[in-house]
Amino acid sequence: MEVDRADGRNPNQLRPLACSCSILHRAHGSASWSQGFRFIQTSHFYHFNLFVFTSKCYFCYWVGSGDTKVLAAVYGPKAGTKKNENPEKASIEVIWKPRTGQIGKPEKEYEIILKRTLQSICILTINPNTTTSVIIQVVHDDGALLPCAINAACAALVDAGIPMKHLAVAICCCSAESGYCILDPTKLEEQKMKGFAYLVFPNSILSVLPEGSSLVQGEPMEHGIITSVTHGAMSVDDYFHCLERGRAASAKLSDFLRRSLQSKLPGDLSKAE
Amino acid sequence: MCREDGSSEVQLGQTHIMGFVTGQLVQPYRDRPNEGTLSIFTEFSPMADPSFETGRPSESAVELGRIVDRGLRESRAVDTESLCVLAGKLVWAIRIDLHILDNGGNLVDAANIAALASLLTFRRPECSLGGEDDLEVIVHPPEEREPLPLIIHHLPIAVTFGFFSSESLLVIDPTHHEEAVMVGKMTATLNANGDVCAIQKPGGEGVLQSVIMQCLRLASRMASDITKKIKDAVETYNTERALRKIKRHPTSITLDGSVNLKEKLNEPSGHNVVNELSRKHLEKPRLASAENASSPGNNGEGESKSSNFGRSSRRDGATSNFVGGAASWDPYSRGVDSDFLKASLASRGTLTPKKKQQDPTGERKPNESKPEESPGDVIPTTSAMDVSETGVHKGGEKTLKDAVKPKHKRKKKAFSSTADAS
Repeated sequence: MEVDRADGRNPNQLRPLACSCSILHRAHGSASWSQGFRFIQTSHFYHFNLFVFTSKCYFCYWVGSGDTKVLAAVYGPKAGTKKNENPEKASIEVIWKPRTGQIGKPEKEYEIILKRTLQSICILTINPNTTTSVIIQVVHDDGALLPCAINAACAALVDAGIPMKHLAVAICCCSAESGYCILDPTKLEEQKMKGFAYLVFPNSILSVLPEGSSLVQGEPMEHGIITSVTHGAMSVDDYFHCLERGRAASAKLSDFLRRSLQSKLPGDLSKAE
Repeated sequence: MCREDGSSEVQLGQTHIMGFVTGQLVQPYRDRPNEGTLSIFTEFSPMADPSFETGRPSESAVELGRIVDRGLRESRAVDTESLCVLAGKLVWAIRIDLHILDNGGNLVDAANIAALASLLTFRRPECSLGGEDDLEVIVHPPEEREPLPLIIHHLPIAVTFGFFSSESLLVIDPTHHEEAVMVGKMTATLNANGDVCAIQKPGGEGVLQSVIMQCLRLASRMASDITKKIKDAVETYNTERALRKIKRHPTSITLDGSVNLKEKLNEPSGHNVVNELSRKHLEKPRLASAENASSPGNNGEGESKSSNFGRSSRRDGATSNFVGGAASWDPYSRGVDSDFLKASLASRGTLTPKKKQQDPTGERKPNESKPEESPGDVIPTTSAMDVSETGVHKGGEKTLKDAVKPKHKRKKKAFSSTADAS
């Protein structure tokens, strides 16, 4: 049963991804993540210091809209925790800014989900009694907004240097009436479908240690699920089907994330000069 | 840079602001039954500055909102009477959301430009009266009838000056470091016709009358400059939008890549970037044209594109530093700066560190002497700057394309890997 998608993708195809880091100057870490693009304008910034003549380049991909784009900024550990938080551990504060309009219940829900997800991937025991703020700004929303935000937040946390156990990759799968599962829906597709699920998996590990060490209870770690949020109705089989597809896609997402973050390492700057 | 109808992104040095415009049909105020409303919401996002907090807007947030609002509303820049659909019953309420993403200083000017750019690119759906008695209002979705732009009479541009404790020090377009140490500031909102729309000098150190007049003169020169740049950026966006609409009509999904390539190559020469994209898009031509075909119509929000507004806004940053700077810097440093620009391709990060370095060395002293010279002095330098900058950017674009090519290989790999995900 083939499902025809409006933009001509096949059911397992993700939209093109773009990720860029260090785009804001004041924030300790920042990243923008977009799924789907129409237009990429690349800009080169050369930062010259007149007296020292060093140069730094930022590569920034400004991506066209009509597709989902999210900007995330991280401010590194600030002293003190909020009243309800456990002072023995670091805490994470998430602020979600919608594109237009007032902040309402859906935004609060996203903040809570994002906070719990990030809490499970960050190492909270390293800086006790501190608060790390993650601010999400929605630039454009065309389906799969929460996964996009989670991916952006992860990239921003890496950019800021917050210690984490592993990264999280998020994906949205929806199940159609026919029982078919499609990945990375656009807003129209999300509305038409019977139900959809946002799934967050840990990213795949490239390790020099023997394979056995990354197994948890006999299963590779990347098969675990960090977060799952479902909307609408779907049968149990549909859900498991979505899980499988999501896992397969998350491997590709992990690769993309690894590649785009690796390019930001200092080693690459010498090549850029 | 304008992404889509009613949205804009402005970068002025390190300051980064996004503006979104949306419209809604509401009941008008009772005392103005045939005028639409305009409201401005500024979001001082905590991502811009560690001292910004969520919740109640701080004083500076309110002040910024008020300055931008005054410039637009009281100078009657936006024609509110054209927003009336049914007198006394339904009018358009235009809402401008300004999101401050990065605080590099001088948020007022950048926010103003963002608001203007997004207003210029906003399209509202066309309404017509129908039904019995012509009392029903039908809102036409963008697929049916082309959405209409707002009527904007003139563009009020805000220019901010910072004053320092020594009388002779004056800075235009202060960065956040300068804002932290300045003792007074003044924002003048002018338009290209030379009308002063608003002046705001909230307390601070007293300033000589002559200095104020000098500031206004500088501001009027800058206003015409910035107006031209905004108009250019909106022009490029409009031409792209028109081209995209032409592509919208051949809705067959099997449009092959070569057609897209040709159309994109025909776009104005300022879009070397588009050529790169179309090369990349050779892999996914159907995706692009099909998305064009199936545009979801919501509030007249169109499809994607980007324009060189990002660059021209950087030029704004450049010009604002230069025009004010031209009056104050000695000829040697001016000369160095233009070469500097040519070498560095993009003016953003370069100018702010330069300014900071010059501050401690006290090179601001010539400030007072220079402005006293005949204004005629400043004008030729401005035009010289403009020429050099356009020259730079043309050259910049060519080298950008060359420089960026290696990056595309990585992007292509990413896409082919996502394609393999199937």
